[in-house]
Amino acid sequence: MSCDITEDDGTLLVRLHGDIDLEHADGVRDRLLDCVARGKDIRVDLSQVDYIDSSGIATLVEALQLAKDNGTALVLAAVSTQAQRVLKLARLDKVFTILETPAASPAGGG
Amino acid sequence: MADPVRDITDEALPDPPADLAAMVRRIAAAADPVAIVERSLDAVTALPDIDSAWMLLADPPDGDLVCVGGRGPVDLSAFKVPAATHGGAAATERALAASLASRGLTAPSPTCAPLVVADRHLGHIAVAGRPSVDAEPVRRCLDVIATTTALGLSHARLAQTSAEQERDRRDLALAGEIQRSLLPKPDAAGSAVYGLNRPYRKVSGDFFDFFSPPDGLVRFALGDVSGKGMNAALLMAKTASLFRCLGKTMNDPADLLALINREICETASRGMFVTMVAGVYAPASGRVRFANAGHQPPLLRRTDRTYEEFPADAPPLGIIPEIAFDARTVDLDGGEFFIFTDGLTEYRHGDSDVLGVDGLIQMLETMADSPLEERLHVLLADLDRDGWEVRDDLTVLAIDDAKASRSLDGGGGVIAAGQGETLGFLTVPALVDRVRLVRGAVEAAARLCGFDVATSADIVLAVAEACQNVVVHAYADRAEGTIELRTFRRPDALVIHIRDFAPAVDPRTVRPRDLDDIIPGGLGTHFIREIMDEVDFLPPPSGGGNLLQLIKTRVERE
Repeated sequence: MSCDITEDDGTLLVRLHGDIDLEHADGVRDRLLDCVARGKDIRVDLSQVDYIDSSGIATLVEALQLAKDNGTALVLAAVSTQAQRVLKLARLDKVFTILETPAASPAGGG
Repeated sequence: MADPVRDITDEALPDPPADLAAMVRRIAAAADPVAIVERSLDAVTALPDIDSAWMLLADPPDGDLVCVGGRGPVDLSAFKVPAATHGGAAATERALAASLASRGLTAPSPTCAPLVVADRHLGHIAVAGRPSVDAEPVRRCLDVIATTTALGLSHARLAQTSAEQERDRRDLALAGEIQRSLLPKPDAAGSAVYGLNRPYRKVSGDFFDFFSPPDGLVRFALGDVSGKGMNAALLMAKTASLFRCLGKTMNDPADLLALINREICETASRGMFVTMVAGVYAPASGRVRFANAGHQPPLLRRTDRTYEEFPADAPPLGIIPEIAFDARTVDLDGGEFFIFTDGLTEYRHGDSDVLGVDGLIQMLETMADSPLEERLHVLLADLDRDGWEVRDDLTVLAIDDAKASRSLDGGGGVIAAGQGETLGFLTVPALVDRVRLVRGAVEAAARLCGFDVATSADIVLAVAEACQNVVVHAYADRAEGTIELRTFRRPDALVIHIRDFAPAVDPRTVRPRDLDDIIPGGLGTHFIREIMDEVDFLPPPSGGGNLLQLIKTRVERE
């Protein structure tokens, strides 16, 4: 698992790689909550995520809730097939704003 | 033969007692020794010419002769003839005369009637009065009373002793019962571990124990306390309790023995000691780790029928307080591991023939290939039948690793029913980062079963969530548990068995998540139920733990 963070036009781009499972969820949580604490909008790129499980999903939900409390946005972008499936299983696919485009390219819309 | 009573009443006594027979009956009717003494003294002083009487008793018969009661003006309650010097009536009479003389009474000299029952000399009735006391008729009356008194006292003592013996017997039986309750129930750790204990007497100085804490490892111990009887039984109970309590929290058998040793050294009575083997058996790997404190060498029987003994390299418990024990590890590899007390190897035949370890091995090898528990019973029955005798407590603890492997391989009927062809079997330590191995195996099994990539990914998620629940919740992140994964292919479905050795889960508490409630564990369970077609906890196989069955049915595309 790795986690690249860049800033683009006031939005933090968080690009997650590898497995976001019970083993790695704590590390992802630390990085995401750091980003949320910076008070900026966040776009999380999940295109390189091979596997996400319930603990990974719970981490994303926690970050989303904190961002909402802060009045900032947290959106998911380029969600991999497996991650999409898990979000759907969790009935959270409508809770998150999910962008089709990869986070690295300029946001087209939504 | 003339009737003495009639003689007395008819002619011999000028002034006979009103009713000697009634007096004697009164004495005989008394139940306790104090009443017998009092009534006897009353009877004696009712005889003519007697104005003082004393009861001198030795209890026990070889103890000091002391005055237990008297009548008349002289108090002799301090009178005592030391055990070593009291002899016959004449000697006692001399001692009494001296004692009376020291109180200023010189005449007349006292007369003693011995209290004798079946050669046992209980003491004397001593009387004093006018010189005629020594006359033959009075003497005869005195003898009648003395004999009755002796019989009464002897009977009362016997009744007391037999009541005490009955109490002791009951106590001993109760103690034996409590000891048996200290032994594990036969199925306490699954049928791969088996123990038996045959006390030589009502209570045993031996013990064995085994139990499976939630981590699925079997803790076992066998001990032999020096000596027999109640003191050995009590030390056995103490040692067994220490093991049961400490064994639940300590993983290293060497540390465990060191701690029990210190405890026994501190409190055990001198000269008593305990030989003991304690260890841990992992049914999943067939590995035994044990330490030996001065006990007979445990015996390993390998599947190729070779044997190895593991002698102790440390002294018994209770001798040297600060001493380190070494633990050693043995892989059973489907073999059998025996720990036993010398009661087993010291079976004797005649005067010189001793069974020994070689004899034991010979017997084990000539036996039919039946289950271990059965073979042990047959072995003892054969020894008894062939005239071998045992004069000690006998205790055996045996581990049948082949049985453990078999029960894990799906025997016992629980797993065997209709789950299809085995695809794979994987055992992993219950650690978060090992769940990845399970994922790989399940992915491959799902693809082998013909599921598409997306469904296979779903199945992987479901199984991984189930394993994570085991790691986090069932074992609560303790490092020593294992998870066993089995995959089976049925024509219509993939069947997955996830087995752990943690305490039993109540399936009612494992519920899908409430959608507003984001708890990782609950969300994972929700995933499992969303993805799989059947989710069931099966009755746990022998060995305890949990067995979760997940089934994903294949939908054939037209």
